[in-house]
Amino acid sequence: MKKFNILALLVFVAGLVGVFTFDTETTRQIQSRVLSLLSPFIHSSAAMQNAAESVTAPQINTAEVKRENDELRVQVERGRIVQQKYNQIIEENAKLRQIVGFQQAAPFKMTAAKVIRRRSSAFWNSLIIDKGSLDGIGTDSPVITSVGLVGKTSILAPRMTEVILLTDEMCRVSAKVEGTLEQGILAGERAALEVRPELHLRFLSRNANINAGASVYSSGEGGVFPPDLLLGRVKRFENREISGEAIVEPAVDFSSLDHVFVIEMQAVVPAPEPPATVKP
Amino acid sequence: MLFHPISIILLLLTFMVQEFIPGLEIAQYATLFLPAVFFFCASVAAPFSMMLVLAFITGFLWDARHLQGVTESMAGVEDLFGTGADSELGAGSHSLPFGLSIVLFGMLGSLMQGIRPLFKRGRLELPVLMVGVATFTWLLSQFLIITFLRGSLHFPGGLWSKMITDTLLAMLASPLIFLLLYSLARVSSYEIKYDGLRYRFDGR
Repeated sequence: MKKFNILALLVFVAGLVGVFTFDTETTRQIQSRVLSLLSPFIHSSAAMQNAAESVTAPQINTAEVKRENDELRVQVERGRIVQQKYNQIIEENAKLRQIVGFQQAAPFKMTAAKVIRRRSSAFWNSLIIDKGSLDGIGTDSPVITSVGLVGKTSILAPRMTEVILLTDEMCRVSAKVEGTLEQGILAGERAALEVRPELHLRFLSRNANINAGASVYSSGEGGVFPPDLLLGRVKRFENREISGEAIVEPAVDFSSLDHVFVIEMQAVVPAPEPPATVKP
Repeated sequence: MLFHPISIILLLLTFMVQEFIPGLEIAQYATLFLPAVFFFCASVAAPFSMMLVLAFITGFLWDARHLQGVTESMAGVEDLFGTGADSELGAGSHSLPFGLSIVLFGMLGSLMQGIRPLFKRGRLELPVLMVGVATFTWLLSQFLIITFLRGSLHFPGGLWSKMITDTLLAMLASPLIFLLLYSLARVSSYEIKYDGLRYRFDGR
């Protein structure tokens, strides 16, 4: 082997050791920068894909679209009314909490986002949404649809975010089974390639009485995911060596996601102290 | 010596082009991994030291773009069954280390260097086959490391069809990349082929 090649190999190994010693913060910064650099290309490819899909899409029936539009208008109106009532109740609730001196539960805001890319790597279960750090999204924020939990945010760029799906084993959720006191950790398996892969709810009691079809919800114990988000339904229960495990079918169909909501948990606001009474 | 800087620029371009390559839904979203395929082709055309540079860049950028689940190390805070915030934040689950792809590309690039003499003679059959072998080995290594870290050797349905389709797509694209590298070498006066050693078959 030539001396120059040995030197090159040494430099390569030194660089490799340097990369392996990166801490999480540095790694995330690098990933964020690379995603930011590539974001114009990801946006362009998404636009091209949409254009191609619209060309190949079947002819739009205007009458049907009009009917659908009318139905949606009615639904929006209904939603507005519900929203108003909800706001009134929230306001009333806040006043009552203040009177009782009850600590306010952590409120959260939701950001709607469009899915622009699904699964671009070899084995990771992820997707990219069109909202990023400039829209107030942070890392490890829950991502949901009206059906249930989709996953959590991972790499952030100013105008896009990569979401780790619930089907990836890096997205683990503290979960509970409806109608029982059983709680465990729900996670998928990386490199599961099915459209709707099975999830595993581990660390349940052995011989737990869990029926197929029971709903699985987030317990909120972990603090990352809010409680009572639907995760899936139990397919079967299996006893392992030291604990029980439920095989769960995810609630969300990950292959047909178009729009999602990112939940941003907000800091708990302490209730204001009641005004001190001034004694004469 | 323009060949090497242009190879690096082309490698960077492949990461941009990769974003435009769709996945095949019928084969579990198998796709052409252009940066990897370009690296495997370039590692045959480039000398050992340059191959290491390309391996480092390819692995680094691949992990920076595609590696998921970089989590905070929280040793000691995980409770007995891994419940709680530490678990939801990823502690206790095993993510692949950032930089692993550099090792894989470095090793596979060294393997590709073995067929360099044949490539220099202008023969493409074995290099194309080796690009396929390298792509398959790269994907299989990643999968085996994932399953090893998880602690269960499980091969899900569709895994083989995905990896074989990925490999075939790589082999289909590789002759074009080899021709591009030959053209680039000609333009930049870089000697890939030894004309004196070139294999000729004149029918006799």
